[in-house]
Amino acid sequence: MKLCAYRCKTCGKRTHPARFVCDSCGGREFVQEPLEGPVRLLTYTRVHNLPAGINKPHLDFGIVEFENGVRVSGQLELHSPAAIGMKLEASSGVVRVLQGEEITGFIFREP
Amino acid sequence: MREVGIVGVGHTKFGKTDQDFLTMLGEAALLCLDDAGVAPGPGAGIDQVLVASVGGGMVNRISASASALVDTLHLCPAMAECVENGPASGASAVKLGYMAIASGMCDCVLVVGGEKMNGKGGAAATDFVSTMLHPEAEYAYGLTLTAFVAMFTRLIMEKYGVTAEDMARVAVKNHENAMHNPDAQLHKRVTLEELTEGPDLERKNPLVADPLRRYDMCPMSDGAAAVLLCAMERAERFVKPPVRIAGIGQATDTHVVANRAVPTDLLAVRLAAQRAYAMAGLGPEDMDVAELHDAFQILEIVESEEVGFFPRGEGHLAVRRGDTALGGRIPINPSGGLKAKGHPLGATGVSQVVEIVRQLRREAGVRQVEGAKAGLCVNFGGFGNNVVATVLTRA
Repeated sequence: MKLCAYRCKTCGKRTHPARFVCDSCGGREFVQEPLEGPVRLLTYTRVHNLPAGINKPHLDFGIVEFENGVRVSGQLELHSPAAIGMKLEASSGVVRVLQGEEITGFIFREP
Repeated sequence: MREVGIVGVGHTKFGKTDQDFLTMLGEAALLCLDDAGVAPGPGAGIDQVLVASVGGGMVNRISASASALVDTLHLCPAMAECVENGPASGASAVKLGYMAIASGMCDCVLVVGGEKMNGKGGAAATDFVSTMLHPEAEYAYGLTLTAFVAMFTRLIMEKYGVTAEDMARVAVKNHENAMHNPDAQLHKRVTLEELTEGPDLERKNPLVADPLRRYDMCPMSDGAAAVLLCAMERAERFVKPPVRIAGIGQATDTHVVANRAVPTDLLAVRLAAQRAYAMAGLGPEDMDVAELHDAFQILEIVESEEVGFFPRGEGHLAVRRGDTALGGRIPINPSGGLKAKGHPLGATGVSQVVEIVRQLRREAGVRQVEGAKAGLCVNFGGFGNNVVATVLTRA
């Protein structure tokens, strides 16, 4: 998956993931922009009952907000306990292997 | 549009069964036809059969199951179709059956919902349910429905002061209600103390997705439920008086959960209920009983607010007061709810309607809500991205 924001060419609203139609103005053309840098942790959880194919005892997940306002879900890799409002940094990495294919996605860590 | 009523209901015992998927559907269908006093066959006057299921094809390797069911019930050449709309499949099928009759295209429609979720293992079931999430932005990360509910719960706790004890109170209530429902999966009373404290807590009620523990969510279930719908003007041939489908509302919300403007709202629940009330010409104050989609106990609390029973942020206070228990102001989930009755995905929306029909017919036994004249069902798909609300009334 492309780890980028999609900026509507008509109204400028950014979204992630990609959409066919802008949910602000109805525009259909988007410009890809890097989605990286600092984020704020909005909420989080540690999941123990993971789907088949993920052979780990647990995984940490969160929803974050980038400085440009885009909100995404991703995995967390933290050294300290998670907290709402925590400042983190976006990075990319392999988040899952599906049918032999390594999937790249957002992983959020302490700066 | 013509008025539509429910003239028959059927329900298997939810739980873990050795029956195959199609046998479960057939059992519920026959219980329903017997309840309506209809002998199956081409002369039964059933114009269409709808089957609601999420994993019939994916998990049970039976695609186009409506074609199989209509034949084995000896109802050919009736029309037959499958309906898949995630966990809201059951109520969606009831809605489509309603539309077929209201439009005049059909007089009588059999709706059967079913799911067989046991047998492949919990991790496989978790994966199958997770496929309803966004394939790239959610599913690919290993995210699950439980993960999103856990993150939602954390925000609700922070914003409104809901506690782990409040969610446990809902579980205690619904387990108690299920004691009086022979079709329920779990016949086991639980106490607030054993779900929330003690040195054995991690063993008895372990964390599944922080802050959610095992008893904050429904079990994995097999089961099926069925309703027979008929035009009210043609309902005299059945043995029991019809229950009227007074209103149906449906609404959607963003597929990607992170894209919601207010992450603590269940907007599709609110809109679906408002649309169902408007169609029925009734309001939340007119409801005597409700079956809300408590796949997670936090959802019963927040849905009870979004459908207008309580002000926003006060659903947990109503639970503490006992307002939602049998004998309370507005009993919620007298069947035991998804928590204790069970949650076979495609069956659930139909099962909720079955319970309200039994309540309005005064057939609910010990769990009967006295004098119930109108009831609400909320069937919640995805993480709240597709919700169907149904209002039923005594004819």
